[in-house]
Amino acid sequence: MAAEAGYGASAGLRRRRWRARLATPGLLGLPLAWLAVFFVAPICIVAAYSVDAFSLFPGPHPVTLSAWRDFVHSGVYLRLFWKSVQMSLIVSTVVVVVAYPLAYYLALSGTKRKYVLLLVLIAPFLTSYLLRVLAWKVILGDQGVVNTFLVWTGLQAPGHPISALLYSRFAVMLVLGYVWLPFVALPIFVTLENLDRQLLEAAGDLYASRLQAFRRVTLPLSMPGVVAAFLFVFIPTVGEFITPSLVGGTSGYMYGNQIVDLFGTGFPDWETGSVLALFLLGVVAALTGVFARFMRIGQTVGR
Amino acid sequence: MDMALSKLSRRLLRGFLALVIVFLYAPILVLLVFSFNNSELPAFPLSGFTLHWYHQFLTNADLRAALGTSAIVAALSSIGAVVLGTFASIALARRRFRAKALVSALLLSPLVIPLVVFGIALLLLFHTLGIPRSILTVVIGHVVISLPYAILVLVPRLEQVDVALEDAAHDLGAGPFSTFRTVTLPLILPAVVSAFLIAFTTSFDEYAVASFVVGTRATFPIYLYAALRFPSQLPQVIAVAVVVLTVSLLVVLGAELGRRRAEQRLGTLDVGG
Repeated sequence: MAAEAGYGASAGLRRRRWRARLATPGLLGLPLAWLAVFFVAPICIVAAYSVDAFSLFPGPHPVTLSAWRDFVHSGVYLRLFWKSVQMSLIVSTVVVVVAYPLAYYLALSGTKRKYVLLLVLIAPFLTSYLLRVLAWKVILGDQGVVNTFLVWTGLQAPGHPISALLYSRFAVMLVLGYVWLPFVALPIFVTLENLDRQLLEAAGDLYASRLQAFRRVTLPLSMPGVVAAFLFVFIPTVGEFITPSLVGGTSGYMYGNQIVDLFGTGFPDWETGSVLALFLLGVVAALTGVFARFMRIGQTVGR
Repeated sequence: MDMALSKLSRRLLRGFLALVIVFLYAPILVLLVFSFNNSELPAFPLSGFTLHWYHQFLTNADLRAALGTSAIVAALSSIGAVVLGTFASIALARRRFRAKALVSALLLSPLVIPLVVFGIALLLLFHTLGIPRSILTVVIGHVVISLPYAILVLVPRLEQVDVALEDAAHDLGAGPFSTFRTVTLPLILPAVVSAFLIAFTTSFDEYAVASFVVGTRATFPIYLYAALRFPSQLPQVIAVAVVVLTVSLLVVLGAELGRRRAEQRLGTLDVGG
């Protein structure tokens, strides 16, 4: 403000005009066009396939909602979706519960090496996802590291491997938890790091115990971070198909695998597959919307 | 009294952190150990040291071709994402316009779309338009996925840079482009580099979308996924895994250290200005 006045009104005006010349449409045009063609349009095409406006098979085909009706009525896909939701819920909850104390320690213990430790914690997340899943395939198999180790050390009779380790729901959830754990600590750490320490001191001055201070002050104030962390895991895992296809077998089969199979080479059914994909997208979009609202409310309350 | 942590809980939490870190790195260590194990099967007991698997993957033409393809795809898509991301970030950080909240929501929305959904959506787009699948279709998809990351890295950095510096350049007669090239770009360069690295590693590791739109030239994750079905290939896949994981861990740590050093430099510059 003061600087503007110092330069004089004409310079300010000129500058505003200069900024306008490198115009907003010019800056936003390319990125938005890219997303319109390669992100929004493809989703619209999925919608067109789901009502049979477009089809894999040539020939005339009227628009129909039959695939949507079958999806709702048959219940097979919805049950599979519910199974995936349950698995993701368990994974997200466990991972948040494990990550919270870690983030708490790093943010509030006053350790000098907190950023180094945080980086060590997060670094695995930034390496190859596929290779970390591969590691568990090597570890959990019947002829894998765990089973052969148990036999080798005599803890397990040879010829009776613990088969439930690999190709099970447990394997999928373990690997998903392993993959997402490092990332989850970050949002929780950030909220705890920004926590006003004086609030804790005030609680102490008012004779709160540490536990009471945590329950009444720290935990409520860190909830935005916890919710963010939870959704950061839940949203990508509920539509997951890579991990279940590598370590899940038939009992670890998830909703995402069903979508892939409907577009696969065996018996492609793009119409049903598009319905499943849009349903998943709808659920995720709704969750994201609720979350965005929640975060904004969290901010205004915080202020 | 320290209200956050008692001495005991501090010690317990430190132990817990150590345990979790062991849990996170143990599988990687297991891969490291078995990459040198002289056996077709990654299993106990260990049966002697060998460099055979490393040698095998270094001489595996398909695997090297896949790594090369992924490097090209990752380079192209990260350049695309950083260029588009820089345009978008300047608009978001420097301009006022209507529907800004909506625009930024759209720009960031690829972050939350399930990749399987995006993959089939792209597949249907290319199918409908009759565009044959190739490494270019993978690049197109990866630009979309990486764009939000680039924006998330670039916008905060642009907001740190003092607008007065850009105005001064303009007052001294620089046009918009040369202002960007000589003033803004050097100041946001660390963020540009980390945006590039994030986009590069994202693309290099991306399987979900690539699996739908890749053509006949396999990218590295596509090759890897296919190779996992053949037990005879497992040992050399483990050797590759060790190399890739080690390199990416080093890049991550190096990038972070570099970014922090640059941050400190900008800090002193701001104080000086």
